[in-house]
Amino acid sequence: MIYTLLVLSSPTSGHGARTAYRFAQAALARGHDIERIFFLDEGTTAGSQAAVYPQDEESRLQPWIELATHHGVELVLCISSALKRGILDAGEAERYEKPAATAHPAFVISGLGQLIDASAKADRLMTFAR
Amino acid sequence: MILHTLHAMSPSASFQDCLRTAQPEDTIVLLGDGVYNALAGSHAADLLAANPVRVVALDSDAAAAGLQGKLGDTPVVSMDDFVALSEHYPRHLAWY
Amino acid sequence: MVIRQSPYGSSLARAAVDLSLAMGAFEQHFDLLFMGAGVLQLLPDQDSAGIGLKSIGKVLSSLPLYDVERVYVDADALLRHGINADQLVLPVQALDTLALQELLNSADQLVSC
Repeated sequence: MIYTLLVLSSPTSGHGARTAYRFAQAALARGHDIERIFFLDEGTTAGSQAAVYPQDEESRLQPWIELATHHGVELVLCISSALKRGILDAGEAERYEKPAATAHPAFVISGLGQLIDASAKADRLMTFAR
Repeated sequence: MILHTLHAMSPSASFQDCLRTAQPEDTIVLLGDGVYNALAGSHAADLLAANPVRVVALDSDAAAAGLQGKLGDTPVVSMDDFVALSEHYPRHLAWY
Repeated sequence: MVIRQSPYGSSLARAAVDLSLAMGAFEQHFDLLFMGAGVLQLLPDQDSAGIGLKSIGKVLSSLPLYDVERVYVDADALLRHGINADQLVLPVQALDTLALQELLNSADQLVSC
């Protein structure tokens, strides 16, 4: 089956975001395809490469990077949610004259159309909250 | 046929509305703080038991909460089980 | 799309409204169902200038321009929040629990925000 995942909660707010990538890993292990993982609202903070998490805990960024690089899963951050939270890619950082590109390159910053498109293509749409 | 994921604890509008919306052929997966709703002896657990809908709890979240052995008749499911459930249900609704 | 957030308490309400506008713009067939505190988004006369945000009620009232016609509310939520279905920014259809279940089960996909 084809899955699209919607992530609404941040990695620092409960563990819903972690449940989302564990779900993604399990779905891939069961032979499913993931059309896209779309991060909206607080969920977009998952894409920050500037965040520093406690060293003695599981990384909150690395699993997403692995999904993108080893499994080719497309990770999309909603642009309006991301920008207001200071999650910018290089293009946006330059455009708005901000000090740094804070979005990890494993994530793409784009619009809601990507969520709508991915949902239309998916057999299953799963929402992950706090 | 809907697969519900319940992150909210009772008492809350989300908990209430989830139970009200659920039909006997649905399944509710308790996630995050939602696992506390199945704590045996709680008012929430009584409400869940009174509803014909099937209720399960995600193992990792129940374990984190220290609820092993305290969930009464509520089965604990693995992430793999959760994905398998989602294969069965065409619709998913998150309550939080 | 199930909408459950109050209008200004979190940014999620605005994100959900943007999503519904985008769905309309992309000509997607969808129903909007306001439940829980979400019904508060439909209250009229939201003068949000003083809090520096765009009025959610005003944005929602423009949904018909995007051919979004099917707007439903949970009758139970209206009752709980003491709201009259006739006094909202949009014409809505109030549903009882059974009708609500039917609506949800008639969808291909569901999302709640």
